[in-house]
Amino acid sequence: MKRRLFVASSLAALGLTGCGPIKAGLSDPNGPVYKLLGTAQGLNLAVIGTHGMAREYTDADIDRDFRLESLDTPSDATYAALRKDDFRSYVMPVDGLVDRPQTFTLAHLRAIPQRTQITRHDCVEGWSQIGKWSGVPLATILAMVQPKPEARYVIFSCFDKDESGTQFYGSIDLHQAAHPQSLLSLDLNDKPLDPDHGAPVRLKVPIQLGYKSSKWVRKITLASTFKNLGGGNGGYWEDNGYAWYAGI
Amino acid sequence: MKGMKDEVVYRHSLAARITHWFWFLAILVLVMSGLQIFNASPQLDASDKSDPARRVLSIDAHRDPTSGFGIGTTTIAGHTFTTTDWLGYTDDGSGGRAPRAFPGYLTLPGPQDLAGGRHWHFFFGWVLTLSLVVYIVAGAIRKDLRELIVRPSDFPKLLPMQLYYLRLRKHPPPHGKYNPLQKLTYTVVLFGFIPLLILTGLALSPGIDSIAQPLTQLLGGRQFARLWHFALMCIIIAYFFVHMALIVINGPFNEIRSMITGWYKLREDDGVGV
Repeated sequence: MKRRLFVASSLAALGLTGCGPIKAGLSDPNGPVYKLLGTAQGLNLAVIGTHGMAREYTDADIDRDFRLESLDTPSDATYAALRKDDFRSYVMPVDGLVDRPQTFTLAHLRAIPQRTQITRHDCVEGWSQIGKWSGVPLATILAMVQPKPEARYVIFSCFDKDESGTQFYGSIDLHQAAHPQSLLSLDLNDKPLDPDHGAPVRLKVPIQLGYKSSKWVRKITLASTFKNLGGGNGGYWEDNGYAWYAGI
Repeated sequence: MKGMKDEVVYRHSLAARITHWFWFLAILVLVMSGLQIFNASPQLDASDKSDPARRVLSIDAHRDPTSGFGIGTTTIAGHTFTTTDWLGYTDDGSGGRAPRAFPGYLTLPGPQDLAGGRHWHFFFGWVLTLSLVVYIVAGAIRKDLRELIVRPSDFPKLLPMQLYYLRLRKHPPPHGKYNPLQKLTYTVVLFGFIPLLILTGLALSPGIDSIAQPLTQLLGGRQFARLWHFALMCIIIAYFFVHMALIVINGPFNEIRSMITGWYKLREDDGVGV
């Protein structure tokens, strides 16, 4: 029965899952099939885009034990040293295509007017949890550094690494970064972020899926393109096949 | 227009035939890539955020503590069934078995590829949506839809038609191009289930939720939208099998030819109309 189902499903899918060479062509992320499939991403971005506000919840809705689903918590010497002195020596540069490049310490970030939002975190895997995020609106930081007219993307370089040693990176565009709920969060559920949840600074973009909300932010760079970043798709997960626009 | 038995008539317009095959391909890909997406988090909750207390369906893999063999289980509303090989602990796509809700041979584009599954799913979501729009516009212009959409005057004929199908009645009630049961089914599927499938899918996207919060809330929240989306998929699969069974019973050659060339040989129970 299993074999019959297999044959039926393979035939039905016009050999999509069956033949070796065809399959290789179909699953090549840079091949023509994925180029065609990728057109949907452009449509999704154009039709859905960045509009409205993510629903905000009350304290009663919060998940106190927030789920972890990301690369491993950084354990290298740099991060360990920061962690040891409670991130007092943490310095976050914001540079690239800006008129006034600046660096921010944690104390500096905490001195800027904070925003608190209780939002739902929707994971690409399908689950959702609700957390209370406090921190600095990304729009505030952008206003301080003054992006140049040619700046289009905000690129996040992070402390975490995968098994092969690739350091995590991600990007959103300036329009998404200026959304009032796009937050450089410092607190989760009324406590400073702990190392597992992205300490000391975690991006939170609630109107897109969780994989856009980079943890362990080390540095922010404004750029006109992300073609030179990693594999050129705009982020670590994007270079692993996920869409850059994650509003769907 | 009155048709005679064995008369060959032009039954399906070009637009209807093309969109029909687009739907077939789109629904096939959407189901297989949808199972792929489901596999990444094989639980369905009747809630907004994930909530084990409101879990309706959960497909899991375990290891038998004594034998060490993998076991697949499916839990529906608190009742757990062993479903090894079928659900939970299944085909891994390379001859073995692995913890996987739906087996590798049912998921696109391969046994485990959430990123790829999402690309296929969203592309064919657009194919389904746009071909439905084309069908409705073309059908409205050609006035074909009038013969397909069920009307109140069809309701009294539903039972007689069902009795005819069950061979408890000698003749079908008089009807046009489609019999009353066909009209009811096609109307509910094309204007009910498929639009609801698209809407429930959209409702579980954070970008749509921020534009149209009432939609997600109406459905009971994001996880509940995922549950509705899955349930509607089950309904569409059930419809597909009934559709196939009736094609086989009514003469697959004639039925499939009509959906390719447009020409259809009238049967006795087609009564009047083409």
